[in-house]
Amino acid sequence: MALIEARGLGKTYAGKVAVHDLSFDVRPGTVTGFLGPNGSGKSTTMRLMLGLDHGNGGTRFDGLPFTSLREPMRHVGALLEAKPFHPTRKARSHLGMLAVANRIPLSRVDQVLDQLGLAEVARKKPKTFSLGMGQRLGLAAALLGDPHTLILDEPANGLDPQGIQWMRSLLRSLAAEGRSVFVSSHLLSEMALMADELVVIGRGSLIAAGPVADFVKSASHNAVLVRSPQAAELMAILAKRPDVTVARDHEELRITGVDATVIGDLAFEHEIRLHELATQVATLEEAFLEATSGSEEYQAHPTQSAGLG
Amino acid sequence: MRNAFAYELMRIRTIRSTWWLSGLAVVVGVLISSLFALAVGLEFSRTGADDTDGLSAAVVTQLASTGVIPSLVGFLLAMIGIFAWGHEYRHGMIRASLTALNSRSSLWIAKYVVCAAWVAAVALVTMVLSGLVAMIFLQRYTNVFDTQAFGIIGRELVYVVILTWLGMAFTSVTRSQAFALVAVFLWPLLIESLIHGFFLLVPGLRDNEAVLRFLPFGAGTKLLDVFDEGHQVFGDPLSPLGGGIVFATVAVALMLASYLLFEERDA
Repeated sequence: MALIEARGLGKTYAGKVAVHDLSFDVRPGTVTGFLGPNGSGKSTTMRLMLGLDHGNGGTRFDGLPFTSLREPMRHVGALLEAKPFHPTRKARSHLGMLAVANRIPLSRVDQVLDQLGLAEVARKKPKTFSLGMGQRLGLAAALLGDPHTLILDEPANGLDPQGIQWMRSLLRSLAAEGRSVFVSSHLLSEMALMADELVVIGRGSLIAAGPVADFVKSASHNAVLVRSPQAAELMAILAKRPDVTVARDHEELRITGVDATVIGDLAFEHEIRLHELATQVATLEEAFLEATSGSEEYQAHPTQSAGLG
Repeated sequence: MRNAFAYELMRIRTIRSTWWLSGLAVVVGVLISSLFALAVGLEFSRTGADDTDGLSAAVVTQLASTGVIPSLVGFLLAMIGIFAWGHEYRHGMIRASLTALNSRSSLWIAKYVVCAAWVAAVALVTMVLSGLVAMIFLQRYTNVFDTQAFGIIGRELVYVVILTWLGMAFTSVTRSQAFALVAVFLWPLLIESLIHGFFLLVPGLRDNEAVLRFLPFGAGTKLLDVFDEGHQVFGDPLSPLGGGIVFATVAVALMLASYLLFEERDA
């Protein structure tokens, strides 16, 4: 079991800030999702954590920086590249090479190849591998030392739906064994199913950190929808309450800042007839887009028709 | 450190280019020596073996000891060193390497030591096999493994190691195996020849032509040259020791830059 403590991480490329004063924890026994728009500094942060990039701050794995860990793959397994291997070195040799560097018995190589569904291609060159198989080999390398901590950058890239489901189960089971799993992904629906906690960044700075449920709950998309022939009366009552906002469209009200139970009770007390009372819960995607709004590094703009005809 | 050596040894053994370059060096080396020994043997059978000075050295070094051509085996083997760093950057292996071995200095040292040991072993096999095959054609006229041959074998081993380290340092500094391959071949063949041309044709430079003996690859060939050996270490021409020192100094300077940059740069 290992606690990851990242403190004051920072990195600047030629005067441009990539990561700024980023601090967060990853607790054992959890899958912590790492979210941010493209170019927000996720990969840089992971490289900083592992001492691959030089920058400010530091990361401790159970109190030790990565560069002080003996036989590091036994402590931290990392997947940082889409295809982090030589295309003509056989899969088994690739893992064997990493194993000898960490005094891991070669029998473990066959074990992880089997675990990752790569036993049949163990003696094949990865240049023939699909992106998904490459990811599996990268994941096999990360799991080779049976580490207590996993740092995975977009591990679902290239995986088919079955592969994604398999990876979710794998990471959840690894976390259930008490390991710390820190994983970045663009697949928000997948992250919603997989992650217990989130670290969300935008333009290299921390936007939010904490349980997924809390992050989703904080989104303004969470609202109570009410349909009533006495919408105006209910709106007037709710408007008197602090921190409550109400938007009205004829008989429909969209209310934030108060939950459905309270609204139902208020309507009952004031003899207001309700035709519908429903809670609208934001998705992780909606919460993420709201939280990172304006912090995208690269933004697309709609093109206007040039009228070529 | 032991883990870094184990990693590098496995890395060099499990890549195809190591084997085809090593095989090519042995085959080409033995072939050149055999053809040369056959031609000389035929000539001796006609005219008699009246001058065998430097013959054994030329046979085992594929004529590199003549000072006329560079060591072909050395250049082939230096490519193994270039690939040792080149593959790290070309295939994004450097991050995998540094998450498996978190000490940059250990990885750096292991790469240079393991590559040096590998190329030295292959060069030794090439020279010994070349000598043995040449004996078939020259045994009647001269002793291929005479004192001079053993001496030049030692010098060629030093040359091959320095050349390999130079290629590795080039690759590590530029993080481009393509650039390093071009540089290692073009520097002796083109750049140093061009400088010689300038000094020959520009009147103001002609008087200072003696400084050209310190050009690194030219100096390196003096390490192997048995026909034009200087008597003073840094005299004109350089002695084999002087040539070796100049060549090694350039290699060490580049290696130092390679180490400092490797420690300093992001992976």
